[in-house]
Amino acid sequence: MSGLTFRIKRTEPAIMMVIALTLLIIIIGFFVNERFGTIRNFLNLFEQMAPLGFLALGQTFAVLVGGIDLSIGAVVTASNVLLAGTVSGNDAMMMPALILVLAFGAAFGFMNGWITVATGVHPLIVTLGTASVLQGLVLLYTLQPTGSVPFWFEEFAYGRVFGFPISGFVMLLCFLAVGLFLKYSQTGRAVYAVGGNPEAARLNGIRNNRITILAYAASGFFAALAGAYFVSRTGVGDPRVGDPYTLASITPVIVGGCLLGGGRGRITGVLLGVFMISLLNNLLNYINISTFIQWVIQGLIIIIAVAVYVDRRKKP
Amino acid sequence: MVYSTFKFGIPVVLTAGALLSVSSIGLSTKANASAPECAPAAAEMMDTVKYKKDPPFRIGFANAAKGDGWLVTFFHTVEHSAQKHADKLDKFIITDANGDPTKQISDIQDLMNQDIDLLLVNPATADALDPIVGRVMRRGIPVVSAARRVKTDDNFVSFATASDTSLACHSATWLAEHLEGKGKIVLLPGKAGASPAETRLNTAKEIFAKFPDIEIIDVQYTGWSPANGKSIMSAILQRHGKDIDGVWADSGLQGSGSVEAFLNAGFKSEDVPPHTGGDLNRMYLLALEHGFPFIGVDYTPAIGGSAVDLAIDILEGKPVPKSFVVPAPIVVSEGHNTKTIKGTVALKDYAATNQPGDYIMGHGIGNDYDSKSFTANYPN
Repeated sequence: MSGLTFRIKRTEPAIMMVIALTLLIIIIGFFVNERFGTIRNFLNLFEQMAPLGFLALGQTFAVLVGGIDLSIGAVVTASNVLLAGTVSGNDAMMMPALILVLAFGAAFGFMNGWITVATGVHPLIVTLGTASVLQGLVLLYTLQPTGSVPFWFEEFAYGRVFGFPISGFVMLLCFLAVGLFLKYSQTGRAVYAVGGNPEAARLNGIRNNRITILAYAASGFFAALAGAYFVSRTGVGDPRVGDPYTLASITPVIVGGCLLGGGRGRITGVLLGVFMISLLNNLLNYINISTFIQWVIQGLIIIIAVAVYVDRRKKP
Repeated sequence: MVYSTFKFGIPVVLTAGALLSVSSIGLSTKANASAPECAPAAAEMMDTVKYKKDPPFRIGFANAAKGDGWLVTFFHTVEHSAQKHADKLDKFIITDANGDPTKQISDIQDLMNQDIDLLLVNPATADALDPIVGRVMRRGIPVVSAARRVKTDDNFVSFATASDTSLACHSATWLAEHLEGKGKIVLLPGKAGASPAETRLNTAKEIFAKFPDIEIIDVQYTGWSPANGKSIMSAILQRHGKDIDGVWADSGLQGSGSVEAFLNAGFKSEDVPPHTGGDLNRMYLLALEHGFPFIGVDYTPAIGGSAVDLAIDILEGKPVPKSFVVPAPIVVSEGHNTKTIKGTVALKDYAATNQPGDYIMGHGIGNDYDSKSFTANYPN
């Protein structure tokens, strides 16, 4: 019980900050544009936040084990191009290709994790290197958007069930599954343990290397899922689609209260971080102001979020 | 129907612009005559009566990016035209995707949620925007595409462009003919994977392939950056020395950097090999100052303004062309016309000697246009 209280004390300020900022954005939105507060807009928002949600989930795994995955953007791109290129309008290939791509993402992440533990090189360097290799291979394969998918696959990105976006629903299911996995499974708890104190984890019988590799495999899997989502949304494989998403995937993880050093962070916080960042982008479209303001605000939010965390750690 | 009012900052071009603004589709006037094999195809006219509405109109503009000087000027031509039509506008709502097609899709959804009457879009990529723009059209909202078109013909009503194919066809043909079909050349395309860069590069390669004694010794993407153009050409010069007979750049953005690399490497003005590339005033000024053989064909940013004109015409129910190719003058240095490529404007008349090097040409906004201080008033 005391442990639970301690954890709430440690985690709540970050989440409370996200909630407060989210509410602020919503209030501003209601005042500046009458269309912002409509159900249609919030449903659109759930659809739009899905890829960032997938990517943030993956990045969360890497961060929780004390690492970082800078190959996310390249895996998104490679999966995106691989899926569209393999299917190329052939209906029958859609599901096998989708499974292939998700497996590819997990395998690539697995390789990142293996290199990290086998060489002892910091994952920042490892994933930066593998990202460069993968992005280069993609550009060797194609310089222009390529391939196509059956029309029905667009439903993943644009479809609605009882009015609710399918992609938003899948994202929420993923968050729920990962949240339950991290909280209740032995392996999930080991992810926190490895990131928080690797030596203690090892002494407790946890196979740190396996957990680290698993975390990067999960990161690769979710990056591939986002890549598939983008194929569904754009209808093609784009050799540049993942470019903005490596750094974008880190923002909600930090804002959501995950400690970059590993071992601490809640999936609820990450989900709120994704929601807040997406809401901010959405609001700026209704305010009709420069997109560069968005960068400024996002930067400020990251600094504020981290400052809150640092301040919290200094207190006894 | 006035789709373009070109004012390139000089009387000669003003006259040409006036001629163009009243000409019809497929524009082929004396001042902007294309070489026959490079001329864009004639456009089909679209009936837009079903989109007719009573003003004021609410137009959404999903911009791709403002990441370089050309894009900024393009954006300003859109704003300038919105200001020109301000009395017919309820709102002109602008979003910016910062070059990310997936964000642009979300931007378009947000614009649709604001009950726009028409979507104006400068697609970040031609293919990726196709599904969402198709959805916009199927909801009865007309789409005007600017600079890049989306993949499917049915997914837009009209498209304002400056023809990458025509630009590359003119510049590559000129270079090949200037070299009399023989020599070693370097190709400096724009950004790898960007459809304008790839279209221009492919067109240029097709042209050069017709000349078996033209040898392409290097192809380097430059990201349309003068700095990259300079550093890349400096490296190429290290490898090939004086063995370069010509440089094909799809824009003066990197072309100007290439010329500077030659000058920095100690080449005298008369030894700088022939270069191609428009858009950037610096390129024209260098060609004028140093006198090397040169052709400049702008990918005119005035297409942004023309796209707004088309949008207004559609909402007023006037017929519009499916594809409107905004013409650009062909600028050839003095005495360097070739067999099929003739300059339509003299270099000395076209180069804006009273403007800075980073000035983007062909905007059509007026002589006193300054991208740093430009503002426009329109309802938003």
